[in-house]
Amino acid sequence: MIAREYDVVVIGGGMSGFMASHTLSRKGYKTALISQGDPVCSLSTGCIDVLSRSKDPLSGIRELPDDHPYRLVGEKAVEEALQFFSQIMDKTAIPYTGDPRENREILTPVGTTKTTCLVPRTMAHAQGDAGDYIHVVSFKGLKDFYPSYITSRIANSSFSLFDAKVTSTLSIATRFEEKPFLDEFISWIQDLDTPFGTIALPAVLGMRKPMAVLEELSSKTGRVIFEIPTLPPSIPGMRLFRALKSTLQQAGGHVYWGKPVSSVERRGSRIEAVTLATSGRPSRVYGRAFILASGSFVSGGLFASRTSVQETVFDLPVFVPGPRTDWFNHDFFTPGHAIEKAGILIGPSFRPRESDLENLFVCGSIIAHSEIMKNHCGHGLAIATGCAAANACDKELS
Amino acid sequence: MSFEHCVRCTVCVENCPIFKVQPKFPGPKQSGPDAQRFRLDGEASVDEWVRLCCQCRRCEVSCPYGVAVADIILNAQLKYSSEHFSPFAAHLFANTHYLGELASLAAPITNRVTSLSLTKTILNLLGVSTYLPMPEYRFRTLSRSRRRKGRGARKVVFFYGCYLNYNRPDIGRGIRDLLVSLGCRVVMPHQMCCGLPALGNGDVEIARRFARKNAAMLTEYINKGYAVVYACTSCGLTLIHEYPELLKIPEGKRIAENTYNVHEYILNLIEEGYAQVEFGEVNKKIAYHIPCHLRALDIGYPAASIFEKIPSLDVHILEDNCCGLAGSYGFKKKNQATAVNLGKIASDAIRDLEVDAFVSDCGACRMQLGTLSGVAGEDPSQIILESLKNAQTKKRSLL
Repeated sequence: MIAREYDVVVIGGGMSGFMASHTLSRKGYKTALISQGDPVCSLSTGCIDVLSRSKDPLSGIRELPDDHPYRLVGEKAVEEALQFFSQIMDKTAIPYTGDPRENREILTPVGTTKTTCLVPRTMAHAQGDAGDYIHVVSFKGLKDFYPSYITSRIANSSFSLFDAKVTSTLSIATRFEEKPFLDEFISWIQDLDTPFGTIALPAVLGMRKPMAVLEELSSKTGRVIFEIPTLPPSIPGMRLFRALKSTLQQAGGHVYWGKPVSSVERRGSRIEAVTLATSGRPSRVYGRAFILASGSFVSGGLFASRTSVQETVFDLPVFVPGPRTDWFNHDFFTPGHAIEKAGILIGPSFRPRESDLENLFVCGSIIAHSEIMKNHCGHGLAIATGCAAANACDKELS
Repeated sequence: MSFEHCVRCTVCVENCPIFKVQPKFPGPKQSGPDAQRFRLDGEASVDEWVRLCCQCRRCEVSCPYGVAVADIILNAQLKYSSEHFSPFAAHLFANTHYLGELASLAAPITNRVTSLSLTKTILNLLGVSTYLPMPEYRFRTLSRSRRRKGRGARKVVFFYGCYLNYNRPDIGRGIRDLLVSLGCRVVMPHQMCCGLPALGNGDVEIARRFARKNAAMLTEYINKGYAVVYACTSCGLTLIHEYPELLKIPEGKRIAENTYNVHEYILNLIEEGYAQVEFGEVNKKIAYHIPCHLRALDIGYPAASIFEKIPSLDVHILEDNCCGLAGSYGFKKKNQATAVNLGKIASDAIRDLEVDAFVSDCGACRMQLGTLSGVAGEDPSQIILESLKNAQTKKRSLL
């Protein structure tokens, strides 16, 4: 059996796991990140929702119930974590824009607006003042984006279709990395006869260097251009996830990708190692401390049976809001289903409160009382608790 | 896990290189779990497009629910091939082993002939693509090199694979000598192709025949206390994953448990304190193109861990692109455009970094990206050997 030894082993390759790993490798810890497959984050819009209830998302934290994990992190630490995230992204090909103290509205593919906070710079102009003329450019045969949804809701708007010869967001994004294709697209836009105003595109402007593509487009056409996030497969989500992974590897963090944790080795109240269910010989990863960032139900960190909810890696006790009959509202679309509160109860040092494990810290959507759908706080909460759990872990190790 | 565990989240589609550039391929979700329910026993296969999958296994690595997407597709490919006529090129590449034996025996002539434009025209007509220069064959293969070397306590049987054997025996001998210098006793017994090219070309019988022979040989060494060490990550994946699973080789499980990636093995020797290694400076900036099959093994990137110990070496990991050649996939004329498009994406990523060289554990990746990027491709062992040599030179100059 092979063994690798690390200071910290982070379980879960989503937003919170990455932010915890980034925080710790920046402090000089030898960090491993383990993930069963790619995270929900790669399917996301790539936008960082912090809290949608007030214009300033951070001041909204004060209105949250006492047991919400944001309250535990604290307003100032949330702001610092968001700034840290922006710093990381600034060094990549997909820098972010926005102020942690101010929410913004961006255009969605169905012509409504969505409240969010930090956005990829390709969406910087997606805010748009009411009354601005928007010309939507989409692609012939693209099934995941219907521009008429937008034009039917927004008065000053129109659309046209470009024939990219391919019909999925992924393949169009791939074509945007080819110079001749980009040139052809630019000259097509230049010939378009549309009223002056901004141009909106589904988020397909290349995978690796979208800002470079966008800047070339804007400078050659003289128009303000922005991207609109699409349904999964989501290009901005993939860009975000890949940038976080590659910057972590560049900072010296190791990743183990693909297989789930099959067993946990404990000595007394400490976890010593986790074993991965690799083909052939299982590989064991040792750590001085562990961070659980395996996500909630969708990510597989929690699993609900008919009568109970299990935590899938360490079998930690899970807070469940009453019997199954109380888990859901009668109306599916009413936000705030009780089951959203399910998760791991944590103490002030981000350790699981109802467990005797000393070197385990918890972050992300698996924390109880997060209510992500209700509060629109997915990525923001992951960033804030990821950094906070890593800082608690740092205190423990140093 | 079976196809029924798929929740259709599309993460696998996001990771599929073929889907990005080949519109005829519906992507891993549809060709794997979605179509599986229609592939009932006794029904004839109608999904010709399933052959467009290159078996990079990125879908399976990315699946958050543990669905064996690539296994499902591979089985569908084999089923389709067993019911349909296979083109000449598929038969040719399924038998890479014999092809290599013949070509290396007549090495100087083979290389002259394959470089002729007439040969290229004939190969094209037979469905073989020639956008890459045909790999050169060597007469002094590993199978014709010294079989045993070293007297150390750690015993290693080196499964070198076809590419190192027939085309780059120099790298193979370098790996053998590297293991010997770290205190290993290395044997390189007669071996067959691992069987992956046969599986990739739809011939499970040839694959099983090769696997049985290799399994008998490897088991004999394992019984004598040897560890199996591979350098080619695709051979490694086949030994560890396909022998016990798809090919159902009785000794498969035992072989899988005793098989190591060469850098994983070296790292263990160093971390256990068995080998004391002094790494010398290597003043280079390199890109490390991670082969898809190393990702599929989920053992981390052991060569990268060794690189961390080499002073002055600046390593950039690139793991988001498949090189597109995928063994014999790109050598088939019908896949040429797909392979070239993917190769361009992966080689642009290398070129953007402005590196001195790129490394990759996989010979096919090096062939493809070396040609398309114009940057020299090296095996990780070559960087390690360079570092050890530099350490010695420095020592000598100090004396």
